[in-house]
Amino acid sequence: MVTMLKQALFRVFRKLETKHHELNYLFWECTTRCNLNCRHCGSDCSKDSFYKDMPLDDFLKALDTIESPSEHFTVVLTGGEPLLRKDIELCGREIRKRGMRWSMVSNGYLYNNEKHISLLNAGLGALTISIDGLESSHNWLRNNDKSFERVDIAIGLAASSSRLNFDVVTCVNKRNFQELEEIRTYLIQKGVKAWRLFTIVPIGRAKEDDEMFLTDHQFRELMDFISESRTRKDIDVKFSCEGFVGEYESKVRDSNFFCRAGINIGSILIDGSISACPNIDRTFSQGNIYKDNFFSVWQTKYELFRDRSWTKTGKCTECKDYKNCQGNGFHYWHGEKKNVLVCHNERLKKTTNC
Amino acid sequence: MKRDWKRKIIGGLCLTSVAFVFQACYGTPQDFGNDLLVEGLVKSKKTGLPIKGIKVSVDERVQYANTDENGKFSLYIDKLQHANIKFKDVDSTQNIWFSNKDTLITINESVLTSKQPKVYLNIELENK
Repeated sequence: MVTMLKQALFRVFRKLETKHHELNYLFWECTTRCNLNCRHCGSDCSKDSFYKDMPLDDFLKALDTIESPSEHFTVVLTGGEPLLRKDIELCGREIRKRGMRWSMVSNGYLYNNEKHISLLNAGLGALTISIDGLESSHNWLRNNDKSFERVDIAIGLAASSSRLNFDVVTCVNKRNFQELEEIRTYLIQKGVKAWRLFTIVPIGRAKEDDEMFLTDHQFRELMDFISESRTRKDIDVKFSCEGFVGEYESKVRDSNFFCRAGINIGSILIDGSISACPNIDRTFSQGNIYKDNFFSVWQTKYELFRDRSWTKTGKCTECKDYKNCQGNGFHYWHGEKKNVLVCHNERLKKTTNC
Repeated sequence: MKRDWKRKIIGGLCLTSVAFVFQACYGTPQDFGNDLLVEGLVKSKKTGLPIKGIKVSVDERVQYANTDENGKFSLYIDKLQHANIKFKDVDSTQNIWFSNKDTLITINESVLTSKQPKVYLNIELENK
């Protein structure tokens, strides 16, 4: 009864948030170059990107269209690998000059002591570094023998900063699934305070590789692992906001599932496209900074993000949990968009009686 | 304004302390602004000219920055009420040799609680 009441209240809250659609989280896909060639890459990034890095001035012109940025407005630099940009500190400083904050998602390969200091000097406030297993499984997924060695240094440096809001993310797959407890211990020893776990989306390079994807039973075990870990309180473990997980909703995250793509989260992609999270199908693009006023697009478009009734199709049509889920994470709608790519809730229900 | 209160009340009733603090699934945590911008200019007390290559650091922390050719420096540090900013000549063999200097700064509460807290320092170094 209490759970149902909470869910109902949360739906009201979600509706208000959607109506208000305050932009407070803006991804900037500042490069699609990457120094790694990960097996699970959803954007098929490579060393030689088709696109040139977006010039800083082009991005700033779009940023300057935002009227009265919200209190915690953050620009999240992503890629590709943002550290491949030689002007990354300048990018950060220019964002800060505008009274905004910035953060970065990195594979950690180039994050050494010198870079740590220069990024802090430039006002970096939050950072996410990905690690996908212990040495062997991480290097396998990253397709690079030195990747673990380098990310180990990066994690140590980032965790040593008292002011960075820092977390580590792990894409859980068949290879690292059995290592989760050891990874957890490793992160605690490194001084990491927060750890987020994902599963891999069947897009990009990953979609043809069965080793990337957990079985339904393993997925339930993952939920149990996160749920149990959260009771231990020595590191803040959570499942990412990638999807609705039914019976585990209150056990694996701080808050109910709420895909905020296009509601609070926007993006400027490498070709100037205006969208939400960078892993969302690019056909959902709402405009382009080279033709449109960014903030005007944010204020007046994004209909498909803010009214998700169109997702009540395919397996979502008859789902009893639809009102709480609303079609799962937006990034699970690709191609013809006739059916959601993955339904976490369905995976869990399949294993309920086992 | 009224709408904002409504959001906050409903968010609070959901008992989700994180209702307004979130992170995109492939993004970073949010930055809560735990830093303070320290900028300034380092000049020679004798000539009044800017000094390049002075290392500026804070307490015993790892962060530091060097003054540029205009004697300017800029770095975001931890938001502290008191900080000891250290100035050290690290390229003494290339230029005139200047004495080191420590400057204890105290940040007003009003500065610390502002949206973008910052302090500006004018520093003069004596010849060694």
